[in-house]
Amino acid sequence: MPSVAQHTVSGRRRRSPLPYTWQRGYLLASPALLVMLAILLYPLGYSFTMSFFRWDLSGSAPFIGMANYTDELFGRQFNQALRNQTIFSIISITIEVVAGMAIAVLVNGKLRGMRLARTLLLVPPMIAPAVVGLNFRWLFNTQYGLVDALLRMFNLPDIPWLNHPTWALVSVIVADVWQNTPLMVLLFLAGLQSLPQEPLEAATVDGATPWQRFWHIVLPLMRPIIMIALMLRIIDTFRTFDVVWLMTQGGPGGATNLLTVYSYLLAFQAVDFGHAAAVSYIALGMSLFVLGLLYGIPWLIAKRRAI
Amino acid sequence: MMSANLSRRKFLAASAAVTAGSLAAPWIARADANEITALLITGGPLYPKYWEKIVQDFTAKTGIKVRYDLLEFTPLTAKVVTLSAARSSQYDVYSTHTAQIDSYFNHFAPLNSYFSDSELAEFYPVAVKYLRDPKTGNLAAIPRNMDSRVQYYRSDIYQEKGLKPAETWEELVDVGLKLTGNGHYGLVVPGQGDPAQRTFSDLLWQAGGDWVDQANKPAFNSEAGIKALTFYRDLIQKHKIVPPDAVGYQWNENSTEFSSGTVYANFDWPGAFATLSNPETSRVVGKWSTAPYVKDKAAISCAISHAMALNGQSGRKDAAVEFIKYTVGPEAQRLQFDQFTNFPSSQAIAKEVISAAKGPQAVWLQQLETTIANGKEWPKLAGFSKVCTLMFSAIEQALTDQVSPADSLNQAATEAEEIMRRAGAYD
Repeated sequence: MPSVAQHTVSGRRRRSPLPYTWQRGYLLASPALLVMLAILLYPLGYSFTMSFFRWDLSGSAPFIGMANYTDELFGRQFNQALRNQTIFSIISITIEVVAGMAIAVLVNGKLRGMRLARTLLLVPPMIAPAVVGLNFRWLFNTQYGLVDALLRMFNLPDIPWLNHPTWALVSVIVADVWQNTPLMVLLFLAGLQSLPQEPLEAATVDGATPWQRFWHIVLPLMRPIIMIALMLRIIDTFRTFDVVWLMTQGGPGGATNLLTVYSYLLAFQAVDFGHAAAVSYIALGMSLFVLGLLYGIPWLIAKRRAI
Repeated sequence: MMSANLSRRKFLAASAAVTAGSLAAPWIARADANEITALLITGGPLYPKYWEKIVQDFTAKTGIKVRYDLLEFTPLTAKVVTLSAARSSQYDVYSTHTAQIDSYFNHFAPLNSYFSDSELAEFYPVAVKYLRDPKTGNLAAIPRNMDSRVQYYRSDIYQEKGLKPAETWEELVDVGLKLTGNGHYGLVVPGQGDPAQRTFSDLLWQAGGDWVDQANKPAFNSEAGIKALTFYRDLIQKHKIVPPDAVGYQWNENSTEFSSGTVYANFDWPGAFATLSNPETSRVVGKWSTAPYVKDKAAISCAISHAMALNGQSGRKDAAVEFIKYTVGPEAQRLQFDQFTNFPSSQAIAKEVISAAKGPQAVWLQQLETTIANGKEWPKLAGFSKVCTLMFSAIEQALTDQVSPADSLNQAATEAEEIMRRAGAYD
């Protein structure tokens, strides 16, 4: 039998000049690794380095240690952005997961028209976030917007969607929920359809109500899918930009300034790349921390139970 | 078959050749000394034709070819910032603007040595002054056209109601209150970002204040500044003569509100004259007129300019400067005015244009020229670009009643001084 290092080319047996070792594997993969280093790790490392310098096009770029980080962590604008980011992430993800699960359970049933409903669910995630942002900007316009026009039709008061700080944050959450809930539905639907039927059938025979079946059987079995969905959305909310930028540009008065928007403003309006990089890495650190909690807490609980 | 003839060795050799070719392409292109590259501004369907004509005429006269890319103002600014940070020599010439020029003092090559004093004296002094680095005196860019604002108002509605365009802040409120109702508003002002800062800036100067004091320390939180921001906020929140969504408006929304007929007065830029006269872009053709900007203690508004800059990294500076000179020369400025009603940066060309104009256009040009001649711009101190971002937020917070004007300005002044100190404005 020929060894792994031997090849058959044009019917002739050839011995490879190099033995099959792990070095050879790296050698063969090196072009791809070099490209990856150049286009992925180099900019990442460069921007991380940048966050420790005063990098503002002033000519000199002195090393300033953690100053960019401390400036931001104790700064008014960063704290406003952080507060907005926390509210935006928690509320959006909660609504998307709860509503996503509810709709998934509904469309999982054998009701008429569910096939069409499942197809329509694909539409919002397929639309570019920039288009969603522009559409919601018009929908929520107080003078010409469809939403306030409908409220007026029912003699209800106008809502200052985009010009009141609180309502502006509500508006961007609504747009985000509209776009991303269907994605949760599709994920949960896939999970629901792959659940084993035996425990559910046994529970039905034992007289469990639909709610009891959902709460005690479906939800625990769906936990891995829910975890994946949560992770995806946490990563996503920390890099939300387009929808917010096109709806409010972070306004009014910074009320919808998320960390990404704030970082963009620092880099391209304030021309302060050092602080912009620091904000980006704080956001990255925060999302990794939240993901770590999401992984770590269930792991710790399981470990304690095992003890 | 092709695949049968293509050995691994040939494939690798071909790939290496293609890669080497593509890597060498910029240097091969750079080898042509008679060709320069430019990143230019666009802003409407007429701009590409304008630049094409400028470039063709320039090449016909000088033999220097120009390869150029067009971008709208915001992405253009982002790209210039990025390329400057990367010390890129991709473009020899940049379109730029007075607004953020302080960020580029170390990246644009000084143009002083390419223009004589008498040539520079031809341009509006306000533009040349604010394109210079106050520390070194170097001229970072040369003005291509002037931008300032006058009042555009609905002459038909004003006549119907027996009103005259406002001259003072008090009249602005009075007239606005008489015109607001039934889904219409007496006035529109922007309320976000750079446009909000410009509007505050005008009101600050009109109230007798300024951005910085003699020692370049922030002074915008003076009594005049607080009065200006309070007046600005009250237009929206107290008198309600402005559409409530204005706190999210920038220039485009303001122009659209006026050209659609929803609001009856607006302070707009020179390009509005052409837009409002065109039935394709305006519902109020023939129903509007212009008047001078309002005033409080003084009649001061910002006078800024789109400008042309030479990339400090350029390897073909002389050819690039030839192109820059052509774009600010008489032919290009006249063409610019004819196509976009952009106001010339050269005083001599401006005089020619004004004397040739007739009727409402002549009146408007006179009003615009007065604003430009008396105009100002915010300081070009180190770090002021970052102060602007801070001011956007401070002004917006006051306009949306999240913070009082005094608190907002005082807090911003403290932070602004620290930003400018760190950036070296007081060294």
